[in-house]
Amino acid sequence: MPLPVAPDLSVVVPLYNEEESVEPLVTAVREALAPVERWELVLVDDGSRDATVSRARSLAAADERIVLVELARNYGQTQAMQAGFDAARGRVVVSMDGDLQNDPRDIPLLVAKLEEGYDLVAGYRMRRQDKVFTRKLPSWVANRIITRLTGVRIRDNGCSLKAYRRELLDQLHLYSDMHRFLPALAAATANARIAEVPVRHHARRFGASKYGLSRIAKLLADLLTIKMIASFRESPLAMFGVGALASCAIALAFAAAWLWTLAGHGPVRGPEAPLTGYVFPGSALLCIALAAFLTMLGLIAEEALQKSRAEDRDDRIAARGARG
Amino acid sequence: MTGVAARRSTELESERGGAGIGVSVIVTVVERPEPLDALYREYAAALAACNRRAEFIFVAHPFFHELLEPLRALEQQGEPVRIIEAARSVGETALLRIALEHARGAMIVTVPAYRQVQPAAVCELLAAVDAGSDLAVARRWPRLDSRVNRMQHGALHLIAGRLASGTLHDIACGVRAVRRDVIEDIPLYGDFARFLPLLAIYNGYRVVEVPSPQHPSDLPRRVYRPGVYVRRLIDVLGLYFLLRFTEKPLRFFGLVGSVLAGIGGIALVVMFVQRLYGQPLGDRPLMLLAVLLAVLGVQAIALGLVGEMIVHFNAARRRSYRRRDSRPPGDSERRS
Repeated sequence: MPLPVAPDLSVVVPLYNEEESVEPLVTAVREALAPVERWELVLVDDGSRDATVSRARSLAAADERIVLVELARNYGQTQAMQAGFDAARGRVVVSMDGDLQNDPRDIPLLVAKLEEGYDLVAGYRMRRQDKVFTRKLPSWVANRIITRLTGVRIRDNGCSLKAYRRELLDQLHLYSDMHRFLPALAAATANARIAEVPVRHHARRFGASKYGLSRIAKLLADLLTIKMIASFRESPLAMFGVGALASCAIALAFAAAWLWTLAGHGPVRGPEAPLTGYVFPGSALLCIALAAFLTMLGLIAEEALQKSRAEDRDDRIAARGARG
Repeated sequence: MTGVAARRSTELESERGGAGIGVSVIVTVVERPEPLDALYREYAAALAACNRRAEFIFVAHPFFHELLEPLRALEQQGEPVRIIEAARSVGETALLRIALEHARGAMIVTVPAYRQVQPAAVCELLAAVDAGSDLAVARRWPRLDSRVNRMQHGALHLIAGRLASGTLHDIACGVRAVRRDVIEDIPLYGDFARFLPLLAIYNGYRVVEVPSPQHPSDLPRRVYRPGVYVRRLIDVLGLYFLLRFTEKPLRFFGLVGSVLAGIGGIALVVMFVQRLYGQPLGDRPLMLLAVLLAVLGVQAIALGLVGEMIVHFNAARRRSYRRRDSRPPGDSERRS
């Protein structure tokens, strides 16, 4: 049974095959939040195949402050977090990993920082307890690239321990694997004020890590998306226009090379090389075709987004109005 | 969309006095039809044997108008048969959607117009759904049919089977039992009704497979026109994209694009380096190919970016997860 009154603080924890961790986690959260008056813990089961659900169910049945959200299948951490955010009712929402590597005792620190006037407070892991080559190194590289590309200076994007204002979450919609770029997304689409706080980090006690090394390509694709959304969400035509212009410039370079060969500087021409004359002008034409394609794609993108952007704006106005 | 369909069928239920009907059997008549009255009798007998009150909805492609004649006779004799003829040429998925609007049972059984398994399998499927599954699909097992059929089956499962991560072994089997709220919750369009169990898994529903003996009439070798294989291939690829990349189009287009642009780019770099060492560029048709590949790669990536943008702006109105306890649309209690 959920609490009758909306809590001040919601803690959202996605769980996937964490049967050993559930009970210690709940105990740790209870102890850490003892000073807080009204809190709730939203456990999101992401289609676990072990005893996670049954344990979480009995915990939720025994304590009205614990809410269990069961997803119909394994959707992934991003979707589980979004499900938790949707179910959370607190004015302040904290997200956390379910594997006990984050320490619930840090929650009050994050909330205090948030109260100083930030929309999002991200934890960064001090003395991270993970393997160097498979975890720490890729994560270091990823963080550098993310900071570089998005301009949002976050030391540790992989740390799930974060605190958010409800108003910010209402404007964010997570999909795909976007939870890792939440600060960048929040800054880009909602002008969020972001702060960082050092948090504790423990070595994994139970279960296996659900991350791997083979994610660089996916990361790059996601980053490109974030970068695009951050820079061009107002005007996709501008982005494709830049591409089209660059393509035209290359076409001009090919045309220049062609003229240069026509002026007699090129390779030997004659019956032994019949294709000679076609290479440079052909390349120039291809680049012009690309420019035309990109321009049209930009127009289509504007067209496709016109409606959803208007609806997006209406939703936001409605959300703001509802909060009054 | 599905909500409207559900409402309409409840209206129909009261209008036509469909109370008491537990199972709606939907027979889509689109290919390889066998005598439909015999098919009806076999399935009706099987369902009667396990005490199910069933109605039969035959929904047919206009091409098979003649075949429906014996059914009309049955309908006039008062058998629980209804016949729907599509006004124009539509595919199996559209026929299924039409039939669903008219179905009155809380449980839907889909049956192709030909026999794949022994009709008694239907009872086992219904029992599996009663036992808590959302959808039960028959699996022709053990397979006794021609080697050619089994090779085609294997080819389909090379890709489609992987999407089901090994839980489904007979995706082409059209004999299925499914709860009505479940099938109405699954978006059915294109040619995807064929892959209904896969879509159900993707939408987070529990799907079980029930092995059933193959019907003798399913055994002879079947070879289709080449166009059919092409369409099937496109369907499977479309399904693969739908299930794996709907939310992340750039992962797909980005991969294709960077491979193309990468090959083109490397070739260009090599040729420019050779140019520095004195080999002229202007007479190398290879350069045209390299530029073409680079252009194609950029196009693919640009398309992926547009896809990402559409996903991003639609994310606010689309939940990419389903809660286990949530009621599918059509039920009274709807999650916002």
